Amino acid sequence: MEIKIRGLKKRYYSEGKVINALDGVDLDIEANKIFTLLGPSGCGKTTLLRCIVGLETPDEGEIQIGDTIVWSKEKGIYVPTEKRQLGMVFQTYAIWPHMNVFNNVAYPLQNMKLPKAEIAARVAKTLKFVQLEGFESRPSTRLSGGQQQRVALARALVAEPKVILFDEPLSNLDAKLREETRKELKTFLGDLGITAVYVTHDRVEALALSDTIGVMNAGHIVELGSPKKIYFDADHQFVADFIGRANLIPATITEQGEAYTFVDTAVGPIRCQKRSFAPDDELVLCLRPEFIEFGKVEGDDVNHLDGTISQMSFVGEMYETEVDVAGIRIMAKLDPMTRYNEGDRVTLNVKAEQCLLVSK
Amino acid sequence: MLKRERNLTYALIVLVSLLTVAPVLMLVMGSFSNSLHSFGNFTLKKYIAVYTDPMLFSVLGNTAIFVVGSAAFATILALFLAYLNTRTDIPFKFLFKVLSVMPMMIPHVLFGVSWALLLNPSNGILNMWLMRAFSLSSAPFNIYSLPGMVLVEGLLDMPIAYLIIAPAMGSFDASLEESSRVFKSGPVKTLMRITLPILRPAIMAAFILCIVRALASFGVPSVLGMPGRVYVLSTFIYRVITVSLIADYGKAAAIGMSILVISVGLIYVYRYFTRASDKFVTVSSRGFKPSVVQLRKGKIPLFIILLLISFILIVLPVLVLLYTSLVPYVMVPGKQAFAAMSLQNWRVVIKDPISLRSLKNSLFLCLVGATVGTFLSVLVAYVIVKIKSKASGFLESISFLSFSFPGIVIGIGFMWYFVRTPIYATIWALFFSYVATYLPYGIRPMTSAFVQIHGSLEESSLVCGASFATTMRRIVIPLLVPGIVSSWVLLATMFFRELSLSAVLSRPGTEVLAIQILRFSEDGQWGRLSALGLIMIAISIIMVAGVNILGARFKPGEVREKLVKVESQPLKATS
Repeated sequence: MEIKIRGLKKRYYSEGKVINALDGVDLDIEANKIFTLLGPSGCGKTTLLRCIVGLETPDEGEIQIGDTIVWSKEKGIYVPTEKRQLGMVFQTYAIWPHMNVFNNVAYPLQNMKLPKAEIAARVAKTLKFVQLEGFESRPSTRLSGGQQQRVALARALVAEPKVILFDEPLSNLDAKLREETRKELKTFLGDLGITAVYVTHDRVEALALSDTIGVMNAGHIVELGSPKKIYFDADHQFVADFIGRANLIPATITEQGEAYTFVDTAVGPIRCQKRSFAPDDELVLCLRPEFIEFGKVEGDDVNHLDGTISQMSFVGEMYETEVDVAGIRIMAKLDPMTRYNEGDRVTLNVKAEQCLLVSK
Repeated sequence: MLKRERNLTYALIVLVSLLTVAPVLMLVMGSFSNSLHSFGNFTLKKYIAVYTDPMLFSVLGNTAIFVVGSAAFATILALFLAYLNTRTDIPFKFLFKVLSVMPMMIPHVLFGVSWALLLNPSNGILNMWLMRAFSLSSAPFNIYSLPGMVLVEGLLDMPIAYLIIAPAMGSFDASLEESSRVFKSGPVKTLMRITLPILRPAIMAAFILCIVRALASFGVPSVLGMPGRVYVLSTFIYRVITVSLIADYGKAAAIGMSILVISVGLIYVYRYFTRASDKFVTVSSRGFKPSVVQLRKGKIPLFIILLLISFILIVLPVLVLLYTSLVPYVMVPGKQAFAAMSLQNWRVVIKDPISLRSLKNSLFLCLVGATVGTFLSVLVAYVIVKIKSKASGFLESISFLSFSFPGIVIGIGFMWYFVRTPIYATIWALFFSYVATYLPYGIRPMTSAFVQIHGSLEESSLVCGASFATTMRRIVIPLLVPGIVSSWVLLATMFFRELSLSAVLSRPGTEVLAIQILRFSEDGQWGRLSALGLIMIAISIIMVAGVNILGARFKPGEVREKLVKVESQPLKATS
């Protein structure tokens, strides 16, 4: 089921100041795809999710889920949370401590007043799906973090909602379990093929799970696109910086060529992937460390930067390396078996198509 | 704030004000009045009478020695036990838990009586035995004295100090000590230079709270102080309203005002130290265990000391009462005593109309009072935790008002209050004063229960399609049950053994158990006292155990934990 959001605004008052948690959000979430809201804490992503589920009421705008308008200021429509028929996994999981696994998962079905036999069958099926077969009578206080997460998922799925919402569901797990659970979740959601709205501040989660990512900042959706579009072809400095490690160098356009855009920067003239901007846009050159190569490679489409290795830190899979180019420190990566040393003079190569110009 | 919530808040403010603010106001006005029946004519006569009373000087001296002595004794003993439990490898650690809940089971007045039975100068069992064994001409110990009162009150208040000191000692970051060890300080020097200074705020908080408790204490001063004519402020008030020919409630109110001022002052000092203690003691989230000191050779002797303290606090009082209840008059245990044993005292007590009436009254106050008190606590805690507004903050402060007031003082306030109402001298006078005075003990467990219900637990129920009513029935109320159980048990046990309010407000026909015990003690009816006391202890234990078993069906283990915590820190919520 698709979700349409129009002109959504939500204000908070805190210590006499007005905070625009949502500052006019327009958004279309495609049906049967995984959509991720990514952004730093306080950007409004959780508020947006809570507005969709109905736990917060917006100040202005309209929310439509499928064919039903669930909230509209103008039309005076408010469908309460319990009538929206959604599934949700909370950040804290919100597993009820006084109930066992069965009752936690069966709760949505019990509220639908289904016959007992059907409830039991559907709970068993869902628990099997999340690989918690035989956990029915386990007290929910005796579950590990990963198991709680799966019970929360089972509870959100059991009523077969058309939309499922996730509020930072992996942030309470430790690093290793988070990675495993993320992969599991991708499998589950892939198998189900339902509309999922996923809120996170973790860029790896967003990249790995999503069909579409919406990057949010200060109550706005800054950019919308596939993971690759966001990573390789961001339009804004905020997005380019948030989605991965980046060297950001102020740049000014000197010439719009046929294939490239030429810019001038503190590290010298650079040819970039062709892009056009409004004349008064302040521009920033974004160079990702993973696209910087060492050693001179000739070619029309390659930029060369001469510098000195100022620092190398061995972190296992690579050396995190900093190269001083005309007084600017450029982050780069070196193979762990490299023969380069700190203090070496080096030439860096960056392909023009991987030199991304973004607006500030 | 919704209209419904606002109405609830204001209704509770009015109700709680009537219960807690009104008696204090009446106490203040009473202290400036001539007598119960000439209320409101401003006079300083009563204050002048108090401060020119020739007895006052010795009473103040006694009070100072009594409260500081017993608080110091309790704190040092608690420090010792807390150290043993949290920092050493002493065996049988469950004994510490038993020690810390002991005072919930045995009423203070009975604990005092059992020591009087052992060590009173005329026929104390231990005294008589020592006199016979060493052919002494007079009793070697006299419990009817200041040192005796300090000893017994100190033992009774030890758990309060323990429950503040032990968590602080158990939770602090071992690396603070380890770094001292690294810099070449020995274990003793580390204890003196690092551990104790860091714990100082917690220790001071425990000490001050013990002083407040001792100042409010009426059981020990009445059972052990009055027979030897050693008066402290609480018994001085009691003397003014009972022993003198005409009960002088104006003078009692004037003394009460002085205690109130000291008490409130001490509570401020206490809060200062608890805040400092929260700031100071670094509870490590990474689950550091403080380093455990190997006791080696000291293990056995220290364990014997622990056993001895447990014996004195738990077994001895019950044993003494049991023995005394079976013998016709106080005698040294031996062949003669065993031959004379009978159930005569028990038979008399269960046929004694006043004892039966006091049992009936206490049971009524305990069961109905605790139920009403818990219900009120649920509402007040809901407003305090879930509705955050200026009005709910005000409700919180007036609800905790009575915590800092000694029962006998607040009782005088209620006297001035109720004498103007039809409930004077009825069981309802006791009922309302109990609920009002012990309200903080009911609210505390409920606020922590409400705090535990994280908002997302309710929200996820809504997302799952449950209505507001279903969410209440299936999520919120079941999660509150442990809090309700602890509130109820705490109030019920306190109401069942209530002494100091009842000492002022109880009238013929509205006797309660603790008052009847006091009467038996004043008349030297030790056998009947012991029989009635044992009935009292047995009912308390059955009640606590029964409700705990019931509550454990919902959340095993947690209820008991909370009972322990609640007694220790009821004040934090007021800050």
